[in-house]
Amino acid sequence: MNKNIIKIFFIPLFFLLIVFPILALIFNLSVDGIQATMVDPFFWDSVKNTMLAALLAAGMAVVVAVGFAYYHLFHPESLVYKVANLFNDLPIALPHTVAGLALLLAFGRKTFGFLGETGAAFTLFVVILAMFFVSYSLAARTLVSGVDNMEPEVIDVARTLGDNTVQVYFKIVLPLMREAIFSGFVLGFSRSLSEFAAVIMFGGNMPGRTQVLASYVFTKVEVGDLDMAVTAAVFCVALSFLIVSVLSIRRPKYAES
Amino acid sequence: MLKANGINKRYGHQIVLQQASLEVKSEIKALIGINGSGKSTFLKIVAGIVEPDEGQVVINERDVSSLPPELRHVGYVPQHPALFKHLTVKDNVLYGLRKEAKVDYMKVVEMLDIKDVLHKRPHELSGGYKSRASLARALVPQPQILLMDEPLTGMDVVLKERILPDFRRVLKELQVPVLYITHDPKEAELLADSYAIIDNGKIHSVNTSIEAFDIIHNSILQAYSC
Repeated sequence: MNKNIIKIFFIPLFFLLIVFPILALIFNLSVDGIQATMVDPFFWDSVKNTMLAALLAAGMAVVVAVGFAYYHLFHPESLVYKVANLFNDLPIALPHTVAGLALLLAFGRKTFGFLGETGAAFTLFVVILAMFFVSYSLAARTLVSGVDNMEPEVIDVARTLGDNTVQVYFKIVLPLMREAIFSGFVLGFSRSLSEFAAVIMFGGNMPGRTQVLASYVFTKVEVGDLDMAVTAAVFCVALSFLIVSVLSIRRPKYAES
Repeated sequence: MLKANGINKRYGHQIVLQQASLEVKSEIKALIGINGSGKSTFLKIVAGIVEPDEGQVVINERDVSSLPPELRHVGYVPQHPALFKHLTVKDNVLYGLRKEAKVDYMKVVEMLDIKDVLHKRPHELSGGYKSRASLARALVPQPQILLMDEPLTGMDVVLKERILPDFRRVLKELQVPVLYITHDPKEAELLADSYAIIDNGKIHSVNTSIEAFDIIHNSILQAYSC
């Protein structure tokens, strides 16, 4: 077999399908588009909404994932763990419109009607919930892999030194997993940033209120303002590059620990 | 004093321990067995880390069979030092001390010669110091029995021969009963007062480490000739 076979199909496909679309965005930037976007208050509102909602969603995802990892470590035979494990990867496989619809029905007018005409839906709060729903699985997977990479003797020793499972978890396991926790947070954050379908189904696309960067780009394309859409899209690319860079800097440390 | 009676343990269809019983008085007892003989499982059952299918563990006249590890008052030194990497050596050594306990931990620290490394993090220590710190951490809370699971695995023979007499001196001075797990009868000889072997899931007392070596040697030969 030709030893260059991998190079022959990997390099062209990678550049054509991954790098080229990103470059296409960058090369389509225009001065007018940049100027118009930079003075558009709805753009900055969408940036603010995205950052705030993604940070809180990633934070919530890590907190819940910390609970899941505890069950994974100490109670893998429990019913709680088995059920949670079953549902854990569901958001990854589920179409996000389905996730958005599920959230809308769960927190909408029928169940949360006392909060207003649409229940909890179409507020920034539910944008956070939608982002959490799609980012939790990534955070949970990362924390579980952190737990699995731990030396089990460390936990055994701490227990013989007088700690119960919860004490061991907070005093030993979590501090030793800080790199996994950080990675889980960053992955959850980046997944939240990119979420569109669940957010728009559940939170709507109200400029200044529930609009996020992804839905801002969508709106600009829909109304035919491509220059502004491209500017916002390149802003998203830059943000994503920043996150990926942070992860790649921290990852070797995680591997060492 | 430790009394483990009639311990049974199987993993799936594999029988690991079969009516395994052992007594450790005020002594250092070496439990010698080949790899995979169930010696670590036995020790973990005594520590409460692994649950037996059957059997009883009594420590200082107290039946601890149904107690979790944190309530058994045992010291545990695992195969790898398993020091808590995010803490200093001092914090590792003091980890098992509860607030109300007044223990002169410096005595143990000085005996094990780790005073100069107390401020360091585990990754800054050599293998020998890590083992000493691991032993100190297990000894400081004054356990009723110390369980050591091949704590010098991976260490070169010269260092082992230097460190084991030191360990023996400390353990004798503190008068703590010890169950020391090893696959190496020579290592057992350097540390222990009495010996037992574990073979086919059963534990037998032997008089000398040479006797233990012969039994284990024959057991390996039998296993390979089958």
